[in-house]
This record gives sequence, structure tokens and C-alpha cells, in this order.
Amino acid sequence: MPLELNETTATLSGVVTVDEVEPLAAWLRITDKPKVNLRRCNHLHTGALQALLLFQPRITSSPTDAFLATQVLPLLRGSSGGPVLPESEPP
Amino acid sequence: MNPLLAQFLAEAADLLTQVDEGLLQLERDPGDPELVNEVFRAAHTFKGSSGLFDFPELTRLTHAAEDLLDAVRGGRLALDSGMTDDLLAAFDLIRGWLAHVTAHEQLPASAGADAAGLITKLRAPLGGEPAAAADATPARSGASTIDAAPDWLDQFDAEWLEETASWLVTTSATMRFVRYTPDEGCFFRAEDPLHLISQVPALAKLGLVQPAAWPPPADFDEYQCLIGFVLATRAAVGELNYLFRYVPDQIETVELDGTAIRRHLAGEAPATPVEEQMAHVAEAVAGNLELARDAYDILAAAQRSLNVDTPSGPRLAAVAHSVSAAAAALGMPVEAGEPDLESLTARVSTLLDSAPPPPEEPVAPPPPPPMAAADRGRADDPGGQVGTRILKVDQEKVDHLMELVGELNVAKNGLTFLADAAEEEFGSRVLGRRIKDQYSGLHRIAEELQAAVMDVRMLPLSVAFSRFPRLIRDLSRRLGKSVELVTEGEDTMADKDVIEALGDPLVHLVRNSLDHGIEASPADRVAAGKPAAATVTLTAVADGDAVIVEIADDGRGIDPDKVKRKAYEKGLISEEELEAMGDTDAVDLVFRPGFSTADQVSDLSGRGVGMDAVRASVEKLGGTVTMRSQLGRGTSTRLRLPLSMAVTQVMVISVAGQRFGIPVDLVVETVRVHAAEIGRVLHQEVVVLRDEVVPVVDLARALDMPWTPDPAADRAILIVSLHGQRVGLLVEQFHREVDVILKPMEGLLAYADEFSGTALLGDGLVLLVLNMKEVLNLAARAQ
Repeated sequence: MPLELNETTATLSGVVTVDEVEPLAAWLRITDKPKVNLRRCNHLHTGALQALLLFQPRITSSPTDAFLATQVLPLLRGSSGGPVLPESEPP
Repeated sequence: MNPLLAQFLAEAADLLTQVDEGLLQLERDPGDPELVNEVFRAAHTFKGSSGLFDFPELTRLTHAAEDLLDAVRGGRLALDSGMTDDLLAAFDLIRGWLAHVTAHEQLPASAGADAAGLITKLRAPLGGEPAAAADATPARSGASTIDAAPDWLDQFDAEWLEETASWLVTTSATMRFVRYTPDEGCFFRAEDPLHLISQVPALAKLGLVQPAAWPPPADFDEYQCLIGFVLATRAAVGELNYLFRYVPDQIETVELDGTAIRRHLAGEAPATPVEEQMAHVAEAVAGNLELARDAYDILAAAQRSLNVDTPSGPRLAAVAHSVSAAAAALGMPVEAGEPDLESLTARVSTLLDSAPPPPEEPVAPPPPPPMAAADRGRADDPGGQVGTRILKVDQEKVDHLMELVGELNVAKNGLTFLADAAEEEFGSRVLGRRIKDQYSGLHRIAEELQAAVMDVRMLPLSVAFSRFPRLIRDLSRRLGKSVELVTEGEDTMADKDVIEALGDPLVHLVRNSLDHGIEASPADRVAAGKPAAATVTLTAVADGDAVIVEIADDGRGIDPDKVKRKAYEKGLISEEELEAMGDTDAVDLVFRPGFSTADQVSDLSGRGVGMDAVRASVEKLGGTVTMRSQLGRGTSTRLRLPLSMAVTQVMVISVAGQRFGIPVDLVVETVRVHAAEIGRVLHQEVVVLRDEVVPVVDLARALDMPWTPDPAADRAILIVSLHGQRVGLLVEQFHREVDVILKPMEGLLAYADEFSGTALLGDGLVLLVLNMKEVLNLAARAQ
């Protein structure tokens, strides 16, 4: 299951497809101060990225996937301004 | 073949016809926005669907055509016949490619080279914005030209840009920058822009283009793509084009070196970024002599056009537009004003004088590109076709169905014989009647089935007519005649075999009309008191179980005396015939083999194989051709064809104990006369019917079958009509009429011209159907 939604934390793992966009957006809409864990996420659908950009959840742990970590995460960080936990930075 | 590709090819054929028709209409009525839209939409659909397959040349060429049409649609260009020619040529090329694709599932190897020339031509009228066009065309050549830095470069982090610029300056390298603006509905097409970007090789930097304003979270539609991307990569232009080949209109690629980026960064600070950027463009232009050369070419072409055509109206406006754009590209902007012919001509010559090719110092930029916005709008265009509830079925399947219906008919007819056998051989009248009851039920169903299948095979005549607007346009241009085509009754239906077979004779007749029928020049027509533009009318009407197609022109008509003399000179008719022949018969002489009245043979028609070939092919279909002509008023040729060739109605007769079929169409009547009433004129037996002398042919003798009629019995004579002449056939006995499926003579019997085919009767008997024309020839030879 690429999407695990808890009370305040969403864990995205594997390939997040367009099917996960709707539940993710719905969760972000109703959740107060949401947190998102991207560690095991390999790919983020554009729609999911867009939802993250709009709702600006706190990214609790950055992805291990190289493309997401180096190219996509800065976009999320740049817009949300939220600090990313330093220990989760890839080497 | 991939079913998707097969469907694309099927659709493409329709689209091509649509585009062809639309363009021709458009040329006649250039102002009609609805027409432009229609053609544009067809071209757009074409481009869209072609993107599904790996045919980059096809996509590129349709894209160029689409851009041109878009400019016409937007009113920025007026369509002239040159452009129409180019567009038609482009779609002709595509038609050729698709034929190749149908056979080999790939484009011909020469596609790229063929397309390149046409693309240049198609883009030439848009020449006012060559740089913009090049930018908007993702598939441009991979030449390492340095583009102007676009303003979306700001989306990148300034610090990173500065570092990159230094590195690029140091290493004299370049990088490719791409802006990717996905379509809002792209998620629904299973596109994932981010996934596409993740595949970009050597991605150096990804930037985000956020929407101007995010919607409030409550209204946020997660399935609408609001964001775009900018990215910097070291991948080659070719790699990018390949990767983004399905979304070429959503990406914009530029190649930048360090200097260009630095200029952009520097130009950002002052309050006049636009001018700065323009200067950069100019810089790029300076480095690009090709652009200047193009501009110079455009000016030269404009001068030629002004001198030769003296255009007016929208055409002049278009020329003026390209001149001012070219002038701007050359650095000599001219004031835009109401263009008139003289001032424009003067301006063009001044420009050409002051700008020797290649120009040395082009300074001013071309107008800023409005393309991106246009592209965005186009992506949302609901140009897609609304699916119609039409089933496309392979012709062969329908043909097979028809064959089966024929077999069913034969099997069904067998029941009547079974009923007779039940009565006679087994003595059960009851069983015989019940079989007959069954037969009548089966007969009704079989009839309906046959009618339904025939209906499926019916096509409107417009299918056969559709190629004529184009043919007439091309021919009349080539012959320097002005010809208007009028078609009537295109929705008359006929069997597809008839329609297909009708094509060639019709083309021949239309060519003849244009080449020989219509006066050599409009001036001749005016002198004869007719409008300068000739009219060719194609009419189709249904007439019972036949369809009549008429080709009429209002040309000079056929001179019967001239035709007779010519026929006499060629030895086609004797001197007596020359004297006695009426005008109608004289006109009919053009159908004689080896007859051609044109004084000189042209490349269009008139090779002396013309009209007799037409008559032969129409008669092969079971039809007739007649021609009427009034000298000085025009000629009309009338083709009468059976609605369907699949089922032939034949009358069964027997001669010397053997049964033969004769097509019912030819039969006029059946008579029984007393043996004494048959008289003789010279060597020919004749019978007088209603004061008309009808020659009688003994069919048995003609077919070489020994038979002596009973001297006491009445003679059975079948009167047939062939080419308007009545002939009596002496036969042994008349039988009923039957519907048969005619199979052509094949194999060992193929030489037997006196039979047009065989048919299987319900009792298992093979019926030979006579080809009356050949039988009468045989009879004539036998005497």
C-alpha cells in the first residue's frame, strides 16, 4: 500500500500513482498540521506533488530515492519553508 | 498490425478526405471562419493521433500545417492558392506515407527529407516570426545555436544560475533549458509530468512554476494540473525531443551558454527587463545569419509576388505583414500602415537595396513570441472527434456474407425440387405441401437477409464523386480553363462494387469533358455568349434498380459531321453509313474503338483508347453508356448502372435441351410466332413485330448446338435489346426468371467470351449465363 494515513502522519511508500492523489488530498484537507513521511517513496505523481505544494505539510523524513531527494524535495522545502530534519538528509 | 494503428489508419483516411475537401472549399471561400476551423480541427486531430505512434516526421509535418492553419484561423494570414498547394502537397505526402505504413508499419526511409522541404514551405508564410516558430517547434534540428534567454529562467534559483553561468563560461559549454507546461487535464490522459521529468538524463536542476494563485483548499481540484516545471539538463536536444515526443506543444526548449544566462541575470536588475531581453534576442539574431538570409528571401519573394500577381485585399495584407516582419528581422523596421500596392512595392525595393545578402548588422529583434499562450489554448481545444456509432467492417467480411447469402438462396431453392420429388417420387402430397410452406417461410427470411446485406454494401455516390473537386481544380489550372463543378444527388446509393468500378470511367469522362468538351480559353466562351467559367455537372439519380450518373458540360459540344468524317477517314464506317447516319448515331461513333477526335493528343486524355474503354468497362458492370450532344451547347454522357452487381436476375431459356441464362435487363419481350411468319431478308431470318422488322438469330446455331425445331410447333422468340437495337433469339423453350449470384468464368473456361459467367441453380444445375454481345458477334460470324 503506497499510502498509509494516520491521524497526523501520512506515510508514502513505493510508487505513488494517480490513484493515491485523491485520498491524499482529502486527508491533507481535513488534517490539522499534517506530517508526511517520504522516506520509502520512490516516485511521486505530479498530482500528489501538487497537493503537497498546496497544503504544505511538514516533511518529516526525506526520500531515499535520488531524484526525489535531489530535485523534488527542494521544491517542497522551498515552498513550505518548513525545516527538514537534518538527520534525514541523504549523504 | 497493432489494432490502435489499424484504427488510426482507418480514421486517417477520413481525416485526409475532410482536409482535402475543406481546403478546396476554403480556397473558393477564403473568409469562412467555420471552414477554417473545420480544416484546422481535422489537421489538429491528425497531429494528435499521429503522436501516439513513433512517426516523428508525421507529427512534425502535421504540426507545421497546423501552425499555418492556426495563423489563418487567427486572421493573421490570408490563405492563397500557393499556401493551399503546399497544404495539399503536405497531405498528399502524408497519404503516401500512410500507404507505406499500411504495408510496412513504418514510414518510408525518405520521410524526413521529403518532409523537411514542405515544412520549410509551410512555415514560410509564417516567416514573420521565424525565431518564435523555431522555439515553438520542439523538433527543430539539433544545430547548436544559442537561443535568447527566456524570462522563465527566473524560475530557477538565481544563485544556482550564477554558478552554472560561470561554469558554462569557463568551459565554453551550453545547457538545454526546458519549460514544461502540462495541460490542465493531463492527469486524465494518464500523463505524469513529474515521471517524465524523472526520466530526463543528466538533469541538473528542476524548478517549479507555481500557478499565479493557488485556489483555496476547499475548491482545490486534485485532478487538475496547475503546476509547471522548468528544468536544466545536459541532455541533447534530440534526447529531450524524444522524451517529450507526446507533449511537443507543451514544452519549450532553449539552448543557452553562460553568457546568455549572465546577460539574463544582469538584465533582471534594471527596471527594463523587456528591452534587455530583446537586446539578447538581437544578439542571438546577429549570430544567426540564417535568419537574416531567410528574411532577405522573404523580401525577394514578396517583391516577385508584388510584381507578378499584383495582389489585393487580404492577400496584399499578408504580403505587407511578412514584409514588415522581415524588415524588422533585418533591423530596418517599417511603420505599419494601411498597405497599398505602390507604397509596398517601393518599400520592398528600398529594403532589398539597402540590405545586401547576407546582411551585416541586423539589430532589431523579431516580435516577441505569442506562441506559448496559443499552444496552451490549443491543448484545451475540444478538437477531438465525437465518436460516431458507425461500425467499420472489413470489406471482405461483407463480401463473404454476401456469398453466404447466395449459397443460402441456392440451398433454399433446392427445397422446391424436394417438394416436387416428395409429390412425384414418394407420392405424398401432404409432405410436398409442408415442404413448400417451409420453403415460403425460408424464402422470406432469405430475401430479407439478402436485402440487409445489400444495404450494408450500399455506399453513397459521393464516395465516387469526392475525388472530382480536386481533379477538376488541378486539371483546370493545368489547362488554363476556368471550370466550376456542380454535383447533384451525391447521396444516391449504389452497391460498393458499382461505386468502385465507376471511378475510372467517370475520371475518364470528366477528363474528356475538360480537355475536349470545354472551349480552349475563357475568351472563346465569352465570344460564344457563354459565361467565362464553364460548368461541369455530375448528377446521380436512382432509377428503379439502376442508378443513372450523368456528366454534363456546357462546352462546345460534338460536331456530328466532323465525327462522321473522322470515322470515315479512319475506316470505321463505310461511305453509305457516312451519308445515312443520323446525328445521334454520329455522336455514338465516339465510342467506337480506335476513335479520337482531338486533333492533337494531349497528356490528359485523347490517346485513342478513351471512350471505347469507358463503354467496355461500364458494360462489364452490366450498364450502358449513351451520349447526347448539342453543337455549341454542350455534351452530356449518361451512365446507367445496376444498383447492385452481386445478384443478377436472369431469364432461363433452353436451347437444344440445355438451359442458359440471359440477363433480364436485356430482355424486351417473349413472343411465340408461327413458323411461317418468320421471313427472310437476304441471309437473315426476320420477324415482323408491330410493323418493325426484327432480325432473328438461331441461338442453337450460334452456339453450335445441333437442333431441329419441330416444324409444326410455334417458334419461341426472345426479343432482346442491345445498344438500342432489337434482336430476336430463336430458342426452344422459355423458363422462369431467377436471381443468381454470377461467378465469372475461370480456369479452362476463361476464354469463353460468349458466357459472362456461371450460376448454380437450386436443383444443382450449373447455369451458363450468356454474354449477349459476344453471342451476337458469334452469330454474325457464323453467317
